[in-house]
Amino acid sequence: MHRRDWIKGTSAAGLALISNRWSVTAAEAAGLSDRFPGLAEIALNKAQSLGASFADFHLMQTDKESLYVREEMVQGVDAGSSLGCSVRVLVDGAWGFAASEEISEAKVASLVEAAVATAKGQAGWRSQPIEIETLPAHVGKWELPIEVDPFTVSLEEKVEGLLGINRSALGAGANYCYSYVSIVRERKWLANTFGSRTEQSRVRIHPSFSITMVDQKKGEFASRASTLPPRGAGYEHFRDWDAVAEAALAVEQAKEKMAAPSVTAGKMDIVIAPSNLWLTVHETVGHPTELDRSLGYEANYAGTSFCTPDKLDTLKYGSDIVNIFADRTADNGLATIGWDDDGVATAGKEFPIIKDGIFSNFQMAVGQAELIGREGGSNGCAYADSFDSFPIQRMPNISLQPGKDDSVTAEDLISGVEDGIYIDGNGSWSIDQQRYNFQFTGQVFHRIKNGKLDGMYRDVAYQGNSVDFWNACDGLGGKDTYELGGAFNCGKGQPGQVAPVSHGAVPGRFRQINILNTAEESGKKVASLDPTKINRSCDCSGGGNTSWA
Amino acid sequence: MGLTKSQSETLSQRVLDLVEADGASVRISDSEDLQLRYANNDITSNGLVDKIKIDLSVSYGKRSASIGLNQTDNETLKAAVKKVQAMAKLAPEDPEHMPELGPTEFLEPKTFSEATAALTPEEGLAHIRPVIEAARKAGVDSAGYLERSVSSSTFANSEGLIVFQPSTSVNYSLTARSAEGRGSGWASTQVTDLAKLDLEPVGARAIEKALATRNAVERAPGRTTVVLEPAAVRDLISLLSWGLGKRGFDEGRSFLNGLVKEGEDPIGKELFGKKATLFSDPQHSAVPCGIHQNGLPRKKTDWVKDGILKSLSVGRFWAQEKGIKPQPHPGNLIMPGEGQSMDELIGQVEDGVLITRLWYLRMVQPQTLLYTGLTRDGTFAIKDGKVANPVKNFRFNESPVNVLKNIVASGKQERVMGSEGAMPMYVPPLLVNDFNLSSVSDAS
Repeated sequence: MHRRDWIKGTSAAGLALISNRWSVTAAEAAGLSDRFPGLAEIALNKAQSLGASFADFHLMQTDKESLYVREEMVQGVDAGSSLGCSVRVLVDGAWGFAASEEISEAKVASLVEAAVATAKGQAGWRSQPIEIETLPAHVGKWELPIEVDPFTVSLEEKVEGLLGINRSALGAGANYCYSYVSIVRERKWLANTFGSRTEQSRVRIHPSFSITMVDQKKGEFASRASTLPPRGAGYEHFRDWDAVAEAALAVEQAKEKMAAPSVTAGKMDIVIAPSNLWLTVHETVGHPTELDRSLGYEANYAGTSFCTPDKLDTLKYGSDIVNIFADRTADNGLATIGWDDDGVATAGKEFPIIKDGIFSNFQMAVGQAELIGREGGSNGCAYADSFDSFPIQRMPNISLQPGKDDSVTAEDLISGVEDGIYIDGNGSWSIDQQRYNFQFTGQVFHRIKNGKLDGMYRDVAYQGNSVDFWNACDGLGGKDTYELGGAFNCGKGQPGQVAPVSHGAVPGRFRQINILNTAEESGKKVASLDPTKINRSCDCSGGGNTSWA
Repeated sequence: MGLTKSQSETLSQRVLDLVEADGASVRISDSEDLQLRYANNDITSNGLVDKIKIDLSVSYGKRSASIGLNQTDNETLKAAVKKVQAMAKLAPEDPEHMPELGPTEFLEPKTFSEATAALTPEEGLAHIRPVIEAARKAGVDSAGYLERSVSSSTFANSEGLIVFQPSTSVNYSLTARSAEGRGSGWASTQVTDLAKLDLEPVGARAIEKALATRNAVERAPGRTTVVLEPAAVRDLISLLSWGLGKRGFDEGRSFLNGLVKEGEDPIGKELFGKKATLFSDPQHSAVPCGIHQNGLPRKKTDWVKDGILKSLSVGRFWAQEKGIKPQPHPGNLIMPGEGQSMDELIGQVEDGVLITRLWYLRMVQPQTLLYTGLTRDGTFAIKDGKVANPVKNFRFNESPVNVLKNIVASGKQERVMGSEGAMPMYVPPLLVNDFNLSSVSDAS
């Protein structure tokens, strides 16, 4: 049945098993599970009969819920769901892919035909055939452990949780405050011609807020956003957050930020909290070590990478104390899952990206390891963000490991700085298409004077080169300072796909990093600027300072 | 083909008929996309994707909720309606909730082309193939993406308002990289009507730039005279457009607050340079766009004229509060050009930089609308009125407000892609003074 037909008011055949598709209950998911093997057989058999050397069939359901509260007004109560299936085929060394929200035997068969036709349309002018490794077959179910299913928590409790934040902020003197919570559940079914049949479910949640202080007379304002990261977790993540206290603190910090002196641009020692450093890990280590980028697959969008295969096991990416590890198995990780979207088991595929400062491995999906002569095939990094998305290589959880000394705290790192900045919370971020030159801001910039926090600065951005930056790291917090940050919305690919990913981090100390004054950058004249400290030379852009093992 | 007008409107009515509430609105979005992606001169991922989306909002007095779904059988629709009604009844009252709009007049949509809708995957591949073959012949690696979208949207509500908009588009861009990886060139096009699609010259531009940028040298950063190609201009202008909101200004948290004294209205003030003019027009022949925003009709609107701010977007609630008319956000943006050729623009520069496109633009300081980002895929030094040599890319820290203040001259308008959003824009290349190139990037 074509999807136009139900416009007339008929029900799609076979869909009656699922009565409540905007939010699939366990029983309804079981209905999809019951139908999945039959649909998969149709897809895979037809693909093979049409000449596919490999094929996979994906069924995916995504449920979302979000609430938005501005001041004391509940302005967004939203639910959403999408359900659909896709077929991916490898025919004569070329990929074909087709997807639809319609789930019927006839539709699945037509998707296979469309996917095969697209693959065959490349015959005669491909220069290199696509080949993938043989994958082990996996059959099973996996579910992310959570304590409280956020979809079952009452609307009243969620609304009250957000209103509590806003009342706290407004009570502390905020001019404006919004708070927001976003909840997502993914259910995925995958079957491939290697014999895998998997079913998975995971939930993620992100409560957040932002407050703004305004000085109408001066035409100035300052904001401070919450620092709680999203997690692969249930509603307990929201309940355990003392958001009311953080909202009041945010107001005080925004007031202090507005009154703070503008930073003097130049080289400074900085200590970066995990709430900021996770994003730096993401941008300066996560993206550069995606093998598909390095090989040019992303050249037209996200870009390529300075991290080329010839630098494996040789590039001195960071100082000796820098260890950055990748996995899809960490507790509460946003990229945590049982099998990736190529059907590769993630357990046992964990790997170091930077080991004792040396670049050690790329993130890979199927068909990529062979291209750089690495044994072992994919390390489980494929992800498709929707039923209609082609699985591509995406980030696992990538985390900065604690330093060797367990006792080191952020205060210890700060005590080793004479004149510097302690940066908390992530703000603006930007990095070039090969991941050399970055520039980040934050939420709060504490001034460090003689080893102690001493007021605040405003108008701060730190800017540098990825490799130089990690080589300038001379101190890391111990394991008790480790925090798991992350984001729902890492973008990549054409058409764009959005992936959730976590990054653990400890506080880190970095010596002589380029600090910009953002007000000065915008052309404003800034009082007390010391021009001798402005660094506009090019040593921040890498190359010359890059060292090799 | 996407849903016909009749099918889309019938479905919207089916959904509204299920609702028992004080008010309801529904949007039916339907698309059939062809996606062809390639890298290293070979097709990589690709797809044919059918999608439908139903977004339903219901309200009881000032309580409201919304739901989105992509299944349309009766049982699912009934369940979704039941769910969203329950959510709305539980939601606290929102004092800013506005009732549904009544029926009104809309401009005729100009966003659909039969030829574009009829494009087959085979024909799509046939458009790309010569570009890939030209790259192979030139010895460069090319990566590109063609997306043909055929879509329709019906917005309808319980007050009898109904508006249908069919759309087609082809977006195409490619990046060509020299074999040793040091040269990179990019070009793009965006059309509503397939008849205007000609990929070979687009490919040739990218290939030419890839070869021309191979031996980039470092140029000192600093405030510099630049020639911004249309792709760079559109990114900066679209970011500015998102800051042109009345409520943010009235609340004291807009960049506009820093440009006028307390109590002054920015509208009517010359906040930009005299060469800055921006307007939107849903029926513009080069860049047609959506004729409404959530049922609020879009009309031809001046945003900036000869440097003077003429309009700010205003939501319905805020318009009611202030006793003014609501103003939807623009669906497209047009900046008239002076028609100078690129050679003429470059010829006026003694010492400057030619910038092909920008990348990873992010807000640094909302108070001044300061954005950061990088140049990419074709950055050249200009010396004595001529393109002299390729230079390494730069990170910039600049506000589009400053860009509009510092326009010296402009060229011929083009419709191209950018890095920030796909809003149709028709903008010329600009010659701009004092652009803040903040640091050098090694990215090539």
